[in-house]
Amino acid sequence: MTELAQAVVNGLQMGFLYALVAVGLTIIWGLMEMINFAHGEFLMLGMFGAWWLSASFRLDPLLAILPIALVMFAFGMLVYQQLMRRVQGGDPFTQIFATIGLLFLLQNAVVAGFTSDYRFVNDTLLQRLGGARLTVLGITFAVPLLLAAGLALLLFLALYLLIERTEFGLALQATSEDRDAARLVGIRPQRMFAVAWGLGAALVAIAGAILVNFFSVYPQVGLPFTVLAYAIVALGGFGSILGTLLAALLVGVIQSVTVVYLPPAFKDAFVFGSYLLIGLLRPQGLFGRF
Amino acid sequence: MGRIALAVGAVAAIVYPIPLQIQGTTYYQTVGFLVLLNAMLGVGWNVIGGWTGQFDFGPQVFFAVGAYTAALLYVKLGVDAWLGLPVAVGAAALICAVLTYPLTRLRGHYFAISTVAIWMIAQPIGSTWEYIGAAQGLFIPVKAHAGVVGSALSLQFSGPTKALGYYYAALVLFAATLALMAWVERSKLGFYFRAIRDDQEAAEGIGIDSRLYKVIARSLTAAVFGGAGVLYAFWALSVFPEQALELNWSTLPIMATVVGGIGRLWGPVLGAAILIPISQIMSTTLGTGPLAGRGIDLIVYGLIIVVIAAFRPTGLLSLPWARWFRRRSATS
Amino acid sequence: MTLLRVEASTKRFGGLLANRDVSLAIEAGEIVGLIGPNGAGKTTLFNCITGYMHPDGGRIVFDGHDVSHTRPERICHLGVARTWQVVRAFGRMTALENVVCGALRRTNRMAEARARAGALLEFTELGGRGDMPAATLTLADKKRLEIARALATRPKLLLLDEAMSGLTPIETAAAVRLVRRIHEELKVTICVVEHVMEVVMPLSHRVVVLDYGVKIADGAPHEVVRDEQVIRAYLGERRAHR
Repeated sequence: MTELAQAVVNGLQMGFLYALVAVGLTIIWGLMEMINFAHGEFLMLGMFGAWWLSASFRLDPLLAILPIALVMFAFGMLVYQQLMRRVQGGDPFTQIFATIGLLFLLQNAVVAGFTSDYRFVNDTLLQRLGGARLTVLGITFAVPLLLAAGLALLLFLALYLLIERTEFGLALQATSEDRDAARLVGIRPQRMFAVAWGLGAALVAIAGAILVNFFSVYPQVGLPFTVLAYAIVALGGFGSILGTLLAALLVGVIQSVTVVYLPPAFKDAFVFGSYLLIGLLRPQGLFGRF
Repeated sequence: MGRIALAVGAVAAIVYPIPLQIQGTTYYQTVGFLVLLNAMLGVGWNVIGGWTGQFDFGPQVFFAVGAYTAALLYVKLGVDAWLGLPVAVGAAALICAVLTYPLTRLRGHYFAISTVAIWMIAQPIGSTWEYIGAAQGLFIPVKAHAGVVGSALSLQFSGPTKALGYYYAALVLFAATLALMAWVERSKLGFYFRAIRDDQEAAEGIGIDSRLYKVIARSLTAAVFGGAGVLYAFWALSVFPEQALELNWSTLPIMATVVGGIGRLWGPVLGAAILIPISQIMSTTLGTGPLAGRGIDLIVYGLIIVVIAAFRPTGLLSLPWARWFRRRSATS
Repeated sequence: MTLLRVEASTKRFGGLLANRDVSLAIEAGEIVGLIGPNGAGKTTLFNCITGYMHPDGGRIVFDGHDVSHTRPERICHLGVARTWQVVRAFGRMTALENVVCGALRRTNRMAEARARAGALLEFTELGGRGDMPAATLTLADKKRLEIARALATRPKLLLLDEAMSGLTPIETAAAVRLVRRIHEELKVTICVVEHVMEVVMPLSHRVVVLDYGVKIADGAPHEVVRDEQVIRAYLGERRAHR
């Protein structure tokens, strides 16, 4: 029984990290309805950025968050300006096509520059707390993961406040609901979209910088996270930031509980199986708008 | 004009490998094989994607169903490929229909994720199910066949004409698929699919059962993917989950369709004829030698895709010179 | 005979009562006008009749069949066709192909469907435009196309949802002529939702008025026009007492 409870707790902590990975997609896909196959590649770039800064300048990943966020914000905006803007009005399949191309480009640019070798970031601040454990009611919390989860939650909440409580966030929501009406009240949709892409890319890259404390870094690490992120956003219901958080927690728990009883190959299968089940009972996701 | 182009294309396709055979460069026959395979997949995907307008990233599951079914029939029961083909196609279509019907309650992006979900569930099933070989999969032993007919019926070509044989087998399957879909396009099915794509609710208002026709469309796609799976299985001589369930089996046809023009019958064909040779050339020039393993070929490939998307989002068939190949109706 | 019977239909959206105990009957061969101020619940009623929504209470019976919880395509099969408030043609198909889609409801043979579609395009005065992509048609033509497409399904009852909105006076007059011809030549029972009084009153045999989800009047046009509740609904309290 405690094994189950332990799995649930671990899953929740992972879930907060997943929430940070997915929330960038909530903005881009959920609010702007743009498909991005390369979402996981932004994550991968964040991870590589953190690794490189650590290897070259001994900069701790936690400190690397700020420069990575800024760079990836600019990069996200660039991707929108140069590519996504041109495919926005047209067929959604062209968006898919464009971002698949982007995926090839980014992934292999990294392969070209750094090879496909697995890399690790060692001796980070979080990892040095590795031995520390907190035991509450018979359940063990590994402090590094707990802190990482806490950080992810804080960032997530910051984003939530940004979207729901600031003028910028309202402008973003307005643009997603009705572009022309937004224009009429002085909002510039192109600018909103560019910023949204910047925000989305930055958030998932930050998640990557945090994940680097726990996972190895290699160019192909992105795609599994992309797939999972889509499931999370859809499960939570489009465009609902709160829904993304809850769905991410659910996904984390499902994964870790599945691993207790079955080989690890099944953990994503159960996540998606749950998606199908929930989808059939509630076609609009947990908190979907339609 | 269209008929002439069609005739010319058919003759070219039939004649293409012969000079290569004489010259001995069978590599390009294999490239041709891959083009035809992906073109076939593209035409198949176009049914659910381009015509019916649904986002489907899961047909590789039915590719695997077709490959495994035919391979199992051959390995366990000695059933030859051309006999196994209809069974495999039927199995793929049937399983697709059963799985898809409940999913048609979901709309748009939710439906898309559900197609991915089936794929994600299929993966561990494939890699742990002992009967079908688990992660190792199945090996298809090659039996030498006396004559051309024998080889063709069992899809087992060997010796100097091996690539040639597979090329023509692919050509036959591709042609059959194209002919079938050309008929579907002009039939009631084709009209209903496109109505659903253009406006599902309005379509329901004129009596179209959108759920049923989405299932039919997806099953047609699954049938084509299943058939292609059979072809691939006997070409690769092995079927295992990591390869049969690869996402590339759907992303490549999708890309070919977008490049060529979504919703147009010949779109995927044109797209495959462009993308596959490009990726092969990239891979053999930039992907080998001193730059090998550094993914340069894929970088260029990705760059080409991005540029096409940015500057020609409606597909290459919409270019003025392509008017020869376009059909007269505005059905796209 | 009564073709459509709506019995105390009620439809709720969260806290909003869009239709409250609405009852009406449409006899075969009538033209019935359904009017009321904006937000009165007319389109909601149409949606319930055609199966896009299902009433939370009450019953809808068409041609003897209870269609309260039936899907739209089945209701079309039974003989109800509709047009939409915001026109919904199949934009990427040609005009002819649009109507063919409707005709395929009643036949599986393409040649027959095409012939019928061509005839209906002529009937709705879209004869020369069969090969044009529907998206490129003018608004008035798109509305005709929607009507032609609906007629192709051989309906017993045709529901027109604001078919005249957005049309110039000349286009409106032509549309009214078309509705009359549909009624007289094709013998289709028609129910029109309309805001333009000059159109609805002369066209309809009977007029039903909704206001805030409730039926407030049901009778011949000249009676309804004088009904106090109707005047109050449209023009406010003061005018009602004239």
